[in-house]
Amino acid sequence: MLEFEEFCFRARLEGGTLEAWIAAGWLIPAGTEPRRAFSEADLARAQLIQDLTRDLGVNDEGVAVILDLIDQLHGLRRSLKSLSAALGSLPPEARATIQRQLGAARQ
Amino acid sequence: MNADPYQVLGVAREASQDQIRAAYRKLAKKLHPDLNPGNKDAEERFKEVSGAYDLLGDAEKRARFDRGEIDAAGAERPRETYYRDFADSAGAAHEGARRYESAEGFADFADTDDILAELYGKVRGRGAKIRMRGPDLPFHLHVDFLEAVNGATRRLSLPDGSTLDVTIPPGIRDGQILRLKGKGRPGLGGGPPGDALIEIEIVPHPIFTRQGDDIRLELPVSLAEAVLGGRVEVPTPTGPVAMTIPKGSNSGTVLRIRGKGVAKRDGTRGDEYVTLRIMLPGKPDPALESFVAGWEAGRSFDPREREKA
Repeated sequence: MLEFEEFCFRARLEGGTLEAWIAAGWLIPAGTEPRRAFSEADLARAQLIQDLTRDLGVNDEGVAVILDLIDQLHGLRRSLKSLSAALGSLPPEARATIQRQLGAARQ
Repeated sequence: MNADPYQVLGVAREASQDQIRAAYRKLAKKLHPDLNPGNKDAEERFKEVSGAYDLLGDAEKRARFDRGEIDAAGAERPRETYYRDFADSAGAAHEGARRYESAEGFADFADTDDILAELYGKVRGRGAKIRMRGPDLPFHLHVDFLEAVNGATRRLSLPDGSTLDVTIPPGIRDGQILRLKGKGRPGLGGGPPGDALIEIEIVPHPIFTRQGDDIRLELPVSLAEAVLGGRVEVPTPTGPVAMTIPKGSNSGTVLRIRGKGVAKRDGTRGDEYVTLRIMLPGKPDPALESFVAGWEAGRSFDPREREKA
């Protein structure tokens, strides 16, 4: 885990910018002030926010929308993964039934 | 790799810095790995595009490249991980990203579908953003007449294989719904679990019927017990009790046994009302026949007098 200063250095961020991102809920450090800790995932997320604001010309409102959608997308992806893992562990007949149902639903 | 950066971005060699930036943004919006968590090719293409932009987006570097001072590889940005690598992985690396994950994309499924509601319960919410009470879990429970009158404990098997002990309070009514707080589906993002809602259906009893807090029962008695009186044993919800039949009782006579009805909230009980029904012996009896034939008072009595008037 990274401390505040170290995180700013690694992410090439101003302390004030990081504070603003935390206040906006874009980054959620573990623990509370003054002992806040950041993970490698937070670092990657900070990099994403920088890509959006700096390189892709997305403004703050846009960042909030995109992060929210990405977070939903990952929730969906994980659910879909566990669902397909659960389906994969079913006996072949049950999977065939589900495939038929999916085919019917698509029409 | 190392293709012509102008071709990678799809711009002319004489394009302006603004045109180059616009071209990069257009591509990057489509290719950024975090905007394409499921597309593995996007990462390679994005690396290429951002490498090209690293070079051409900086007017000074671009000039050096144009003069041939640096090649296309010279300015590649080392970037190994993206946010999606954490969000999408399993195990420890995922932990840091988990707090951001949101189930709002399918929160509405939980109301309608059991399987997705299960999954829904397992996705933890993002901070304080989504904190929801779990859905209620409905049940239908058949309860014996006497269990409903006296109270009982029943064990329910839940769909997930666990069990739930349900205390049926004495005096429960047909159609009543028991609410077991916190025994429904788990909440989301630290939200409280829902409740188990148990609808009670009371199975009728072969001899008892119920009227509010009272029990009604039809009791067959012999002619001798009705005419001469006597002590008989009467079933009640809590077991048989002895009752005195007064001399000269009739069919339809109602006797009350106090405190043998349905248990009430205050701990007392309703009453049991016993309606007598006189039964003659199954086989014709010559002695009874000759007695009744010579019984003047019995002949002059008209039980249908009231119907005639």
